[in-house]
Amino acid sequence: MIYLDNGATSMHKPAAVGRAMMDALKSCANPGRSGHDASMKAANVVYHCRELAAGMFDCDPDRVVFTSNCTHGLNIAVRTLVKPGSRVLISGFEHNAVTRPLHALGANIRVAGRKLFDWDDTLEDFFQALREGVDAAVFTHVSNVFGYILPVEQMAALCRERGVPFVIDAAQSAGALPVSLKGLGADFIAMPGHKGLLGPQGTGLLLCAKLPRPLLYGGTGSESAAQDMPGYTPERAEAGTLNVPGIAGLAAGIQYLKQEGIEAIGARERKQTEFCARMLNKMGITVFTGPHQAGTLSFLPEMDCEIAAQILARQNVAVRAGLHCAPLAHESAGTLSTGTVRISFGHDAGQTQSREFLKAAAKLMPANL
Amino acid sequence: MGIYFITVRSVTVGQQAENVMRKGGISCSLQRTPKWMEEQGCGYCLRLRTADVTPAVQLLRVAQVPFRRVYEQGSDGEVREVRL
Repeated sequence: MIYLDNGATSMHKPAAVGRAMMDALKSCANPGRSGHDASMKAANVVYHCRELAAGMFDCDPDRVVFTSNCTHGLNIAVRTLVKPGSRVLISGFEHNAVTRPLHALGANIRVAGRKLFDWDDTLEDFFQALREGVDAAVFTHVSNVFGYILPVEQMAALCRERGVPFVIDAAQSAGALPVSLKGLGADFIAMPGHKGLLGPQGTGLLLCAKLPRPLLYGGTGSESAAQDMPGYTPERAEAGTLNVPGIAGLAAGIQYLKQEGIEAIGARERKQTEFCARMLNKMGITVFTGPHQAGTLSFLPEMDCEIAAQILARQNVAVRAGLHCAPLAHESAGTLSTGTVRISFGHDAGQTQSREFLKAAAKLMPANL
Repeated sequence: MGIYFITVRSVTVGQQAENVMRKGGISCSLQRTPKWMEEQGCGYCLRLRTADVTPAVQLLRVAQVPFRRVYEQGSDGEVREVRL
């Protein structure tokens, strides 16, 4: 299979991921609950992953909270910073994982920056909105639909200058672009473990510069006599038993990225994205491409996008079609009524994938149907 | 020769402390805190030799790893809190 749906989840994981998970299943008990060898081994597996993540994302290990996915982390972060009626600034390319929690909380949402691949527009609009006054900001690093890399360093600097707390959604950037909690000065950065970090599904990370408000309440293995959740990370936001096999796999994924280098992986993904954009364009297919683009590309064939994805799937090419859980991004790009077909590269991006995809994509042309 | 216990609030802090000890060349083991030592209910502690306890406490302070209390178990088996 030519797998180009890494934006949803990475599928071709390094072999070490599965091995680490299997080893944890066989030998790890509940971490942080007991003192026997199997419990201490589980605690070591968990702490090893915290250390690897802390090294990759420039924070202390105790600031790394394990979540079940990026959405989980975003919900914790949003509920910590936002109250009903809070004025919250978001970009025009947010996922429902950001917008739905904000709507559920009754936040007063201000959208800034609707033009694709246009840093000047994004920054100007963002700056204007901050001047008007906001209580918090939440923005994505990379659009999951279009691969637009937002100018997060500058957006973060603007927030810091104004003293506005902010959250970054690193769902599409973690593992492909540098992300630094300390460098960005974010209050929270949320990311999945199962996409660019190459861990299994059911894993995620929330990097916390600020004390999070718990989303779940329960046992933590510490301060058991108290009825309040601990006043420190990570335990405050990690009620209940952790996904130890998943975390073991995630550690193996991060270890692999350390060896390969995320800069090299990101560059490979971008190279194939540019190539496919150029070739699709030559074929007469509308593509959404521009500067500041990561390894994700949306295009509009002259047919229903879901039918196009089915035609590609029949040729063993896996892509995603539709709104990609990000109607706001489609509204910004003018594709809300049609959706798009999206290809998203992963750590194994290469010419073979692109050529096979383009061969299959030729069947989307009306003359070849 | 006595044994010392340095109590910490969670396994995560215990592991941070263990790392600091390792880097400082101090041998220790991380274990559950005896129930009576932990007024908050559950916790972990580092177990060390007498000769290592003073430098260990110093290392934890420098590294800003929060710890709770230090206990000494004498050769008579009796355990008492000590201030360092």
